Amino acid sequence: MTTSTPTTSPDPMDGGAKPGSYYGNPIPYLPMDVYPGKIIAIEGTDGVGRSTQIFLLREWLEVQGYGVVETGWTRSELMQPTIELAKASNTLNKLTFQLLYATDFADRLEKEIIPALKAGFIVLSDRYIYTALARAGVRGVDKTWVRNLYGFAIVPHLIFYLRIDEKTLIRRVLQARGMDYWESGMDMKLGDDIYESFRAYQRSLLKEYASMADEFNFRVLDARRKVDVLQDELRRQIGAFLAEPEPVARVEATTP
Amino acid sequence: MTEWNSSALVKAATKTGKKKNALTPMTFSLLHATDFADRLLYNIIPPLKAGMIVLADRYAYTAFSRDTARGVDRKWVRELYSFAVKPDLAVYFRVPIEVSTERLLARRVKLKFYEAGMDMGWSTNAVESFRLFQGKVLDEYDRLVDEFGLSVIAASGSITEQQRTFRKLVSEHLEIKDDNEYTDDLA
Repeated sequence: MTTSTPTTSPDPMDGGAKPGSYYGNPIPYLPMDVYPGKIIAIEGTDGVGRSTQIFLLREWLEVQGYGVVETGWTRSELMQPTIELAKASNTLNKLTFQLLYATDFADRLEKEIIPALKAGFIVLSDRYIYTALARAGVRGVDKTWVRNLYGFAIVPHLIFYLRIDEKTLIRRVLQARGMDYWESGMDMKLGDDIYESFRAYQRSLLKEYASMADEFNFRVLDARRKVDVLQDELRRQIGAFLAEPEPVARVEATTP
Repeated sequence: MTEWNSSALVKAATKTGKKKNALTPMTFSLLHATDFADRLLYNIIPPLKAGMIVLADRYAYTAFSRDTARGVDRKWVRELYSFAVKPDLAVYFRVPIEVSTERLLARRVKLKFYEAGMDMGWSTNAVESFRLFQGKVLDEYDRLVDEFGLSVIAASGSITEQQRTFRKLVSEHLEIKDDNEYTDDLA
């Protein structure tokens, strides 16, 4: 047995890591081989139309004969009731908030995502870890700590970031269902005015997402476009990716 | 006084997960870290600020040994808990595996699923599973003693004996603080 050396890793998360492998510290009991499945993550703030796009993508992929599994933020069987309860009681602080998200993600990763990858499914992920990283960033949670925390996440094969501007975002959320406490970042005590708080919070979220685009190779799409135009663009890029021969050789060639 | 796994926040999820035997080593680890974070912020840091003594029945070291024994990455779990306040004094009550098994069996008839490490699938016999699992946990603790400077108390002796050693350790520790205060007063 080796003795443990408590070192802090300088690079807790390798944004350029190979799709299908771990970003950082792995789950030792789940070694990641090259599995046939693919993860396609659809990221973006509220109001960008993620669920509509995923619904349409699923249909399109299934018609072509692909097996599709959907997974979504805070939807794990284990954690969903707790997260909802915690949100309703407003007792969450930023740290426990992050840890609840991470637990939810771990549960879905082990029970939905990895089995689906092994079985050759396409996993459509409604939000991925970047949502957590963005929310942590806005709340001033230590960057290195959150990136270490999510080191066990598998690098998606494609990450689409559906981007909208602040003005469109605000209008869409207000039109859809109005603001809620957490979406307005009221826990951050930015001010008593819920609208101003909401605006400030969403603006900093957009900044966080923008800053991650390069780090994690987001494919940035303008989500202000019509649903079908955006869908066509997604299909075009996903179709091209799925038509590619397995990129194993190419990735290995770039590894030092 | 704060106890391991006692925060109201995550109780429901932990309970559901344990009842259904649905926890993986990772979610087991993360749920306990969430519980710890919740207690740290509500039950540990405020009394510390008020100058009180916090007695913690288990601390992050429990996670380090138990989660690692379950196969979670050793470095990852340490980094996970890097938000924890370093205790002023950390005491490890060490028992040989036979004693801990004996005590547990004397206490009640049936070992709990996760307590016995049954989730690892090493043995379908609870006692045998506990022995295997607890053996690994104890190995991990030994590693922690040096790494984090834990004070070790041999817990195979009588309670009176242990309490005597424990009190001596604690009072030594507190006296140092008293001296400091005294010096401050003179200054």
